[in-house]
Amino acid sequence: MSYEELSHTADVRMRIRAPTLDLLFSDAFLALMETVFGKDRSGGYKKELRIEAEDTETLLLDFLSEVLFICEVEGLVFSCADVITEGHVLTAVLDGETFDRSRHAEGTEVKGISYSGMAITKDTNGYMVDILFDV
Amino acid sequence: MIEGVKRTGTNEWEIPVGFIPGMRVPGRFFLSEALAATLELGAVQQLANVATMPGIINNSLGMPDIHWGYGFPIGGVGAFRLDEGVISPGGVGFDINCGVRLLTTPLAHKDVSGKKDLVDELFRRVPTGVGAKSSAKGSPKSLDGMMEKGARWAVESGYGTPRDLVRCEDTGAMMEADTRAVSEKARQRGIPQGGTLGSGNHFLEIQVVSEIYDAPAAKAFGIEAGQVCCMIHCGSRGLGHQVCTDHLKILEGAMKKYHIALPDRQLACAPIQSPEGKAYFGAMAASANYAWANRQMITHTVRQVLGKMFGIGYEDMPLVYDVAHNVAKMEEHLVDGKKTRVCVHRKGATRAFGPGSPDIPTDLSDIGQPVIIPGSMGTSSYVLRGTAIAMERTFGSTCHGAGRVMSRTQAKKRMSGKEVAANLAHQGIIVRAPNENAIADEAPDVYKPSNEVVGVVHDVGISRLVARLSPIGVIKG
Repeated sequence: MSYEELSHTADVRMRIRAPTLDLLFSDAFLALMETVFGKDRSGGYKKELRIEAEDTETLLLDFLSEVLFICEVEGLVFSCADVITEGHVLTAVLDGETFDRSRHAEGTEVKGISYSGMAITKDTNGYMVDILFDV
Repeated sequence: MIEGVKRTGTNEWEIPVGFIPGMRVPGRFFLSEALAATLELGAVQQLANVATMPGIINNSLGMPDIHWGYGFPIGGVGAFRLDEGVISPGGVGFDINCGVRLLTTPLAHKDVSGKKDLVDELFRRVPTGVGAKSSAKGSPKSLDGMMEKGARWAVESGYGTPRDLVRCEDTGAMMEADTRAVSEKARQRGIPQGGTLGSGNHFLEIQVVSEIYDAPAAKAFGIEAGQVCCMIHCGSRGLGHQVCTDHLKILEGAMKKYHIALPDRQLACAPIQSPEGKAYFGAMAASANYAWANRQMITHTVRQVLGKMFGIGYEDMPLVYDVAHNVAKMEEHLVDGKKTRVCVHRKGATRAFGPGSPDIPTDLSDIGQPVIIPGSMGTSSYVLRGTAIAMERTFGSTCHGAGRVMSRTQAKKRMSGKEVAANLAHQGIIVRAPNENAIADEAPDVYKPSNEVVGVVHDVGISRLVARLSPIGVIKG
C-alpha cells in the first residue's frame, strides 16, 4: 500500500505509487476510502464491479467515481479491493461492510474525482499518479 | 508576484496574453499587496487556462479569494458568447449551486449567549457529515419537484414562506432546468439527501451583527446591530456531484467532436448551443434548484428549533438573501456597449448585481443585491451589496468567501481539532462537528483573513460593505 497526501490548498491531492497498474488502482481506491471514512474499516461483504473506458486515466477516474456512487447509494464502506485491469477494462472485487456512523464518520465527503493534472506515469520503479479529490 | 504577471492598479493584476500558449484574452484578478503574497502559481495558471476557452469575453477574472482549485481556479469568473462560446462543468465545480443564505431573528446576543443547547439541538436536527440522511421522506416525485421548482417546491411543501422566494437569487429556481438530462444515478443520490448539510467547508452558524457600515442598506436588508442571525452554507449534495461527474465525461467526448483542445481536462466543455452543452446546462440548472430546495429545507428546521426554544414566530425569522457561488447562468450584460446575453460561469464567486437590475427584489432596487460572504470558522462574515462597478467590470460578480491559504495536510499537522475548538470556546464560540478532523481542517487561520478579502472588493468597488457578523455557534458539516 503506497499513497501519500500532497499539499493542495483547497482539496485533497494524493500521490499513489505501485509496482503494477492493478495495484495503483487498488491503492488509489484505498486513499479514497480513507479520505471519506477514515481508517477503521473492515471487510466481509463482497461487491463486484466492471468498468470500461477509453483510456487508462479515465478508467481510474470512472472506477473511483463508481465507488463513490456505490458507497453513497448502498450505504457501504470498503476496506480493500482486488483490481484487475486488461487494456481499458477493469474488473474489481470490493470487500467492505455497512456504513456505521459511530466508526465511519471520521473522514470528509469527496464530491468528485478531478481530471485536473491526472496523468499515470511509468518508470523503472513502477507506476505513479497524482489524483485530486474535491472535498 | 509571480513572474509574467503585471500590476495594473492598487488592487489589480493582469496575466497578459501569451503567459501560456492559446490565451484569447488577458487574465485579470483583484488582490491587495498583502493577499498577493499568498497567491499560488497553480491558481494563476488555472486563470490563464480559462483565458484559452472559445468565446470568452474581455477577461478571465479572479476575485480576491482566488486560489488553486481544478478547472477554473476558485474565485474564478468567465463570461462566454452564446454563439461561439462554451459551457464547462470546470467553471462550476462538483458542488453545483453551493451557496449561502442568511436569516435574521428578533433575538439579541444576550438572549442566546452561553446557550449550548441551541447549538446542540441544531446539530441534532440538521443532518451533517459523511453518510447523513434526511429525516424528510424523499421520493422520485419530491425529487422532481425539487429539481424543477427549487425553493418554490420547498415552500409549497411547507418548508417556508412565499416571501423567502423573492429573497433568493433567481427566486430560488432556474427555469432552464431539464430533469431529462439528470441520470438515474444522480436521482438515486438526490432522493435521500434533501435537507442535509454535507461536509467539508459546509456549515450552519449562529452569528451576531457586530458592525454596520452602511445604515440605509442594512435597514433595507432588515439587519440591525446586535441582532442574532443564522447563516447556512451548503449545496446540491450527491445529486450535483453526480451530475458534474456524468457530464464531464460526456463533454470530454464532445471536445473531440467540436475540435476543442484545452490545457486541462477538467475544463471539458462544449459549445453552449450544442446538444451536449444544452444537456449539461439543463442538468446543472436542475441541480442548482435542488440546492435551493435543500437550503430552504434546512432553513425550515432552523426556524422550528429557534421558534420552539425562544418562542418566536416563524415569520419573525425572515430571509435576508440566498446566493449561489458555484453556477453558470445566462445573463444580460453590456458587451462592447451593447446589451448582450452571455453565459457567466462563477466558480467560488458570488453574483453582485447593482442597483436598478431587474433581477433583484424590487424593494432593493435602489440599494443593490444583498451579497452574503461567509468568513472562516471563528472569523467574521459579511453582508455587502452589489454595485454598478461590478456590472461594468466583473459581469456582476464578487468574491465568495475568505479563500484557503493552507492545505488540509498542513492544517492537521499544526493543530488538533480539540485545540482549535478549545481556542474558539475561549472566544465564546461553540463548535459542533461530526469529527475532530473536520474542525482542524477548517481552523480560522487556514483561510485568508476575511476582512482583507472583503476590503479589496469594497475598495475596487465590485461590492460595498453593509454589515459584519461575528459567529457565536458553529455546526461544521
